[in-house]
Amino acid sequence: MLFRQFWMEWKLYTRDRGAMFWTFAFPVLMLLGFGVIFRDSQGPQIRLVRIQPTQAGAFEDGFLKALEEQHLKVEALPPDRAEQEWKEGKVAVLLEGTEPDWRLRVNAYLAPQGMPGMGLVQQAYLVAQARALGQGEPRRIPFTVESPGRVKAPSYAAFLLPGLVGLNLLSMGLFAVGMVNVAYREKGKFRRLAVTPLPKWVFLLAQVLNRFLIAGLATTVLLVAGRYIFGIQNQGSVLAFALVVGLGAAVFMAMGFALSGFAETTEVYGAISNIAFFPLMLLSGVYFTLDAAPKWLQQAVQFFPLAPFLRALRGIFNDGASLLAYGPQMAILAAWGLLAFALALRRFRWT
Amino acid sequence: MSDSALRVRGLRKQYPKVLAVGGVDLEVPRGEVFGLLGPNGAGKTTTLEMIEGITEKDAGEIEILGLTWERSAREIRASIGVQLQATSLYNKITPREALTLYGSYYPRSRPAEELLDLVQLTEKADAFHITLSGGQQQRLALAMALVNDPELVFLDEPTTGLDPQARRSLWEVVRGMKREGRTIILTTHYMDEAEALCDRLAIMDHGRVLTTGTPAALIQELAVPSVVELTFDGAAPDPGGFAGLIGTGVEARGELWEIPTRDPKSALGGILEAAERGAVPFTQVHIRRATLEDVFLHRTGRSLRD
Repeated sequence: MLFRQFWMEWKLYTRDRGAMFWTFAFPVLMLLGFGVIFRDSQGPQIRLVRIQPTQAGAFEDGFLKALEEQHLKVEALPPDRAEQEWKEGKVAVLLEGTEPDWRLRVNAYLAPQGMPGMGLVQQAYLVAQARALGQGEPRRIPFTVESPGRVKAPSYAAFLLPGLVGLNLLSMGLFAVGMVNVAYREKGKFRRLAVTPLPKWVFLLAQVLNRFLIAGLATTVLLVAGRYIFGIQNQGSVLAFALVVGLGAAVFMAMGFALSGFAETTEVYGAISNIAFFPLMLLSGVYFTLDAAPKWLQQAVQFFPLAPFLRALRGIFNDGASLLAYGPQMAILAAWGLLAFALALRRFRWT
Repeated sequence: MSDSALRVRGLRKQYPKVLAVGGVDLEVPRGEVFGLLGPNGAGKTTTLEMIEGITEKDAGEIEILGLTWERSAREIRASIGVQLQATSLYNKITPREALTLYGSYYPRSRPAEELLDLVQLTEKADAFHITLSGGQQQRLALAMALVNDPELVFLDEPTTGLDPQARRSLWEVVRGMKREGRTIILTTHYMDEAEALCDRLAIMDHGRVLTTGTPAALIQELAVPSVVELTFDGAAPDPGGFAGLIGTGVEARGELWEIPTRDPKSALGGILEAAERGAVPFTQVHIRRATLEDVFLHRTGRSLRD
């Protein structure tokens, strides 16, 4: 009975092209798109607008070369265009003048990019001066970009992949479990089941097992895409990775069941689930780290389910960390799971 | 073994704002087609759903095939077939799969082929549910209600929303079920359906059973089993004066005057004579037997369709 129900769920799922697309194809497309866009950069470059000098000498050429070495995107514009863009607030740093009368303007509203940009320009100027004076090449401190705890420099795709795994599990729990059950209840599918001798737990267990299988497959598809397109792979143990994904799937599904008990109709559920989904997606560091966010927010979000999940999954996947190192994160995740499960038991209704 | 398929005593259901069912008693012998007839909101569906065990009752006793929900829920579920008012299925399930799947929920089930044949869906056996017409979906719902070869079948408004042809083909399926010896309990707000299908009826209104009996007996109980109808071209005029002329009640309904009478043959002459004297501009005269509609009207003062 359980197997037949499970098999039917699976067959019906494979006929639902929309769900298949969002679960399997969409995360891969996101990985491809974002992974390629940010492939070689080590973070976004700062754009420096430089007003084209009327006549350029040897020093200006040297300075320009030094600027380009600084990981700056230098753009030379005629004076009127540059002035216009500055007035429109599009320019973070504006460099004008010729040696020795330089002027550097930093846009007060774009200070987070403008100030580091200004520093880079100053450095390039020092380098250019040293070279012009024949003092030889200034020495620099060598550096690497690393993920904490591991030597391997991760690409953006490697950062993104665990984020997409987490997002997929979250949307599966909230939509493929929560939304589906609200729709079943609203349309009277549960009532039709209730007049048969099928035990309710068989129906729900088949559904949960089916979603676990889909979560596993969708994660595998992402891992394979990451491996063969970007050459990234799990640095930690497969078991630890699978355990974290499994726990995450369980917690987010429990959240879907719990939330479905608070909505009478799919419209109401849509609103409730989006209130949960969007803040979690945007604030948990799925696509980017939250370094720029206020400290309190960064700390607060660690107590919601998605951020600790991603931290543990990234630790294992990118840094090869042991699962034990993420005990607190697992505990927070499990606590959410228990809370959601308890709520689901209290609130879940068949009619 | 109980000789009643269903026995209900004092069934009540109070919703926050309305008393949906206010003390219903029913007794249905085995092998009977029993109808709950009443307008929308009369409490038919709530009554049925309490009997089917999907709506909690506030008070009352229900005995199904001699069993009670309190003690034998699983056994009851295994031996009843249910068609809900709106049967919701997955969009992309086929009739064959639906029948096989639901059959798998029961200890004993009929083969999908046989059921598809019974409700004439063999041609659509492998089409997705969402592509079926309303009548085909209703027939599938009926087949699903028969998947466990049930002794007792509940049909909630089986033909609502169907065209006349689809209704008739569904009636045939219901008659077939009766021939197989099943007990059938159905709700409807169509009096022609009730007359065509039911051995006995309970007429319900405002959560109560007004009267119970065979269709013929219910009509016979009326003091005036016939109705003379005068049809007008356009809305019927006020019948007040005419009623005075012939000395009986006349009711204007739409384009008709209805004159209930015990003996239409002798009454007709008087009515026509009076109409001529009063220069009543009627276009047609029609004598008909009273129907369940008249029974309902007589009991409640309202029409079933209102």
